[in-house]
Amino acid sequence: MAIKIDYVARETAANLLRNVTLTLASVLTVVVSLTLFGSALLLRQGVENANDRFKGGIEFIVYLQPQITEDQKASVQRDLDSNPDVKSFTFVNQDETYEEFKRLFQNSPQLVETVTPDILPPSFRVAPRIQDPEVVKALGDQFQGKPGVYEVVFAFEVVQRIQETFNKIGVRFLAAAVLLLVAALMLILNTIRVAMFARRREIEVMKLVGATNWFIRIPFIVEGIIQTLLGAAVAVGFMTFLIRPFIDELSRDRVLPIFQGFVITDSNLIYTNVIVVVVAALIGAIGSAVAVSRFLDV
Amino acid sequence: MIKLENVSKIYKGDVVALSDASVEVNRGEFVFLVGASGSGKSTFLRLVNKEEQPEEGQIFVAGKDIGALPSWKVPHLRRNIGSVFQDFKLLTNKTVYENVAFALEVIGRPRHVVKTQVPAILELVGLAKKVDNFPNELSGGEQQRVSIARAFVNRPLILLADEPTGNLDPATSVGIMRLLDRINRTGTTVLMATHDRSIVDTMRRRVIELDRGSIIRDQSRGVYE
Repeated sequence: MAIKIDYVARETAANLLRNVTLTLASVLTVVVSLTLFGSALLLRQGVENANDRFKGGIEFIVYLQPQITEDQKASVQRDLDSNPDVKSFTFVNQDETYEEFKRLFQNSPQLVETVTPDILPPSFRVAPRIQDPEVVKALGDQFQGKPGVYEVVFAFEVVQRIQETFNKIGVRFLAAAVLLLVAALMLILNTIRVAMFARRREIEVMKLVGATNWFIRIPFIVEGIIQTLLGAAVAVGFMTFLIRPFIDELSRDRVLPIFQGFVITDSNLIYTNVIVVVVAALIGAIGSAVAVSRFLDV
Repeated sequence: MIKLENVSKIYKGDVVALSDASVEVNRGEFVFLVGASGSGKSTFLRLVNKEEQPEEGQIFVAGKDIGALPSWKVPHLRRNIGSVFQDFKLLTNKTVYENVAFALEVIGRPRHVVKTQVPAILELVGLAKKVDNFPNELSGGEQQRVSIARAFVNRPLILLADEPTGNLDPATSVGIMRLLDRINRTGTTVLMATHDRSIVDTMRRRVIELDRGSIIRDQSRGVYE
């Protein structure tokens, strides 16, 4: 049996308008919960981006002086080669460092403009055999102060600090988001229930004349999904025009150096927004499906 | 057309609505169900379109055991059964035309069918001039005609009427009965629960009398008591 689009559209629009206050309550709850949820996702991706240089088991980086001589560099490389605790290492030259720098500071174009490849330090990215922080620290310290070495940076110092901070913020965001999503689900359920109650006489007649259950249910389910998608649209707007600029702001802030390199790329944002929309559609579908199956039997 | 075999229906609290009832109604018959309030007339009708399930026994509609019908097929059973009630059950926010059209739209009938069937049925029930009125602008008799039009617009095999004249004065009731009789003459089986003695006595059709859930009389060309 064909379910007519114009019928569904007409019924859904009428339902949404009939319960403006309740609809608004569910939409706003969806907005707040999804914004929190999306922000937690964005922060996590920011952390990942900031820790990009420590990917693949790299535990410390030996930054070299930009003006290091070939002999000094070869000496450091020999030490790394001969050290039994070093599993592998790669050399990152100044041009590659510049590319990485541009990526990390893509939100601060003025800063990038003042920097040229020749003032950036080349580096050895080192993956040790043993990942224990104390062993790594002892290993890295052997290179500290060697001729031509500028600085040794340890992953556990940088990454852990970022991750601890994120955990504090992100976990709370996520917990609040989940609670609010549950609230949103229940609000949707009740909104649909009220909508069905308002139309109980029509539903009674529909059942009497032999309308199928799905014919009766679909406008209500569409209504639930539309409510959450409306909420998702606002949440996507918030994340694109408020949350992302705010994180960018943080990454430029000198008082909070921990957020340096906290970049949200366009693809991070799109990915997050897609997830937010999918979660919204699911919440709407589940909430209204539960409502129609619990309160609409043959 | 309708067959009940040893059907019992017991509501919560041991209220026996129907007990061991067996009866057969043939295609095209007009049957009155009579009996005091609570004797099981409404339950009888509600069992036929599967609004209720019997505790015991089997019910056949058009040769099919409706107890074995999966719930998703129940709507298709109901498309073959029109229902008329004492309180009309019209939608007050829809016009006469829309009320009748609604019954066809929600079972997915194409628009051209709706556009031809609805005026035809409203002509048949004598409401061609009131298509754009709302139910509260009509008399009780006219409202019942709308509800009959809605029940019959899909040309069902069976029409169930639960005290259709219960809210109407005698003169208006006669008009409604003429209409039901006319529908019956098209071959539709009509099952009507009623308290209206004069209607039953004038029409002289088959009468099934219920008393506390039991069939105590089944008489062709019968009277009220």
